[in-house]
Amino acid sequence: MKFKPMLKFIGRRFLFLLLTYIVATTIVFILPRAIPGNPLSQLLSNLSRVAQANPESIRAAERVLLEEFGTDKPVMVQYVNFISKALRGDLGISITYYPRKVIDLIIPVIPWTLVLLLPATLTAWWLGNKLGAIAGYRRNTWVDKWVLTSSMILSQIPYYWLGMIFIYLFGVKLGWLPVQGAYSQGTIPSFSLSFIIDVLKHYIMPFASIVLSAMGGWAIGMRVMIVYELGSDYALFSEYLGMEDKRIFKYAYRNSLLPQITGLALSLGGALGGALITEIVFNYPGTGYLLFKGLTTLDYPMIQGIFVILIASIYLANFVVDFVYALIDPRIRLGQEE
Amino acid sequence: MLLTMIRPLFKNKKFIIGITIFLFFLLSGILGPYFYKVDPTHMSWDFEQSPSANHPLGTDTYGRDILAQLLHGIRSSLYVGFLAAIISLVIGSIIGSLAAVKRGIIDDILMAITNIVLTTPSILIAILIASYLRVRSLEVVAVILGLFQWPWYARAIRAQLMSVMSREYVYLSRMAGYSDLRLVVEDLLPTIATYAFMSFVLFINGGIMGEAGLSLIGLGPTQGISLGLMLQWSVLMDGIRRGLWWWFVPPGIAIVAVTASLMVISTTMDEVFNPRLREE
Repeated sequence: MKFKPMLKFIGRRFLFLLLTYIVATTIVFILPRAIPGNPLSQLLSNLSRVAQANPESIRAAERVLLEEFGTDKPVMVQYVNFISKALRGDLGISITYYPRKVIDLIIPVIPWTLVLLLPATLTAWWLGNKLGAIAGYRRNTWVDKWVLTSSMILSQIPYYWLGMIFIYLFGVKLGWLPVQGAYSQGTIPSFSLSFIIDVLKHYIMPFASIVLSAMGGWAIGMRVMIVYELGSDYALFSEYLGMEDKRIFKYAYRNSLLPQITGLALSLGGALGGALITEIVFNYPGTGYLLFKGLTTLDYPMIQGIFVILIASIYLANFVVDFVYALIDPRIRLGQEE
Repeated sequence: MLLTMIRPLFKNKKFIIGITIFLFFLLSGILGPYFYKVDPTHMSWDFEQSPSANHPLGTDTYGRDILAQLLHGIRSSLYVGFLAAIISLVIGSIIGSLAAVKRGIIDDILMAITNIVLTTPSILIAILIASYLRVRSLEVVAVILGLFQWPWYARAIRAQLMSVMSREYVYLSRMAGYSDLRLVVEDLLPTIATYAFMSFVLFINGGIMGEAGLSLIGLGPTQGISLGLMLQWSVLMDGIRRGLWWWFVPPGIAIVAVTASLMVISTTMDEVFNPRLREE
């Protein structure tokens, strides 16, 4: 493998994502200042109702807010401050949980979201691709029709609604699985066997609802891709040469997988959004649940902080996928795609 | 001409099923409220009733009729979906065709913007913007959603138009002195019409799903009723864990039925119009 083009490609992608991150944080900076009716002044006047503390700490919070949004300094200075802070991971101080730092509130909930989102999304991707490939290979058989129809419906079911149905069926009606949270109330998180089993029991329903509703889209995409590949010149030529179907299918599958990897990177944002809402439905103590709490109390530093962290992780994930893609497909490294 | 184009669609069984389901929901959204004249906001003492003759789909915690909510909800969700789709289609078409026709630095800038928006999860920006707005009408929600779902479409349009641009009839038009605008309208846009229509359908789905997501997170429209708001109310009132299935099942079914039928319409159109996928 040639090392230099790879390095160049990675460098270019990294620069692009850094630029994108700066643009995103700029949006975070501009929004509260640009929207008419200035939500900040409203926020300040509402502060006494929101914070459940004594006048002194409210004044302190007010000072923090003023400093945070820095209305006393020129806009450019505010902006540079904001960006450099955002790049260092300093996200300010929460209003609801004053005087705790936003970053300290977010870090403990992130693992729950990751543990839910990543395995579920990857499982859905893998299962969906396999199913779609089989359907495309056996085009117009009953397998194909069955896979296509169910994928078509599954792909349009929002994660959280499937979650609601699961809670009702398996939690409320049948009583098989716990209906909310990531572990039973009253248990203390530890690495004991009973706790892990408890967590797994709580994990099944949110996991399954994401996997099932996410895999339909992959199956549909993969099916079309396989049909294309099997109809392309190299597949036909191999067939005329007398190559066995299985082998041609293997080649077609590999080629079809490439665009699906790009698709995976692009779908992560939507998957994250779906997972956040699924967490709310399940009262699952992840980022979505924290965001929901922040939204109900209009805790803007927290909302912004969660936004910045989530955007940064999506960009990071994109970067990882790009890297993997470049490893697999030499054409990308040579820069023919861009 | 148009008829001969459309005719093969109506020979396709999947297309007929899809369009029937979609029209059913479209009509019940448009006409339903006129035939079922129950005020969806009217509160009564019959709260949390399961479906009965009086309330065909039961009532919620405030005794409001679920069927009435559902009909009005379908109407608003479709409205949000259509509006968001129009916005996305217009932005995407303009950016995509501008980049393809102008090339050079304009192309570079537009594609950089497109890639940035494409990489940034649209639902997150929508959440951030919506959180700053005290009052959110259906239109505002549609705009927030429509502003960020166009990038994949703009990129596809650009690629398609660039391949068309190198064909001879476009050269001829150029030599005949067509302006860029005339070139786009007469020579280029017709080549992307079917693709644009299929994307429009998917944008509607994005709008409907986006509205539901925003609503569930507490940032939906602040007035009116939508399918997403119905779901949110049932979550807030813990309707799921208390087994009030008639509250959260119908809006979900409506969302899935509308979006899935649109999806079927779009994919069957692709199958019919795309020679490589056409069934032998």
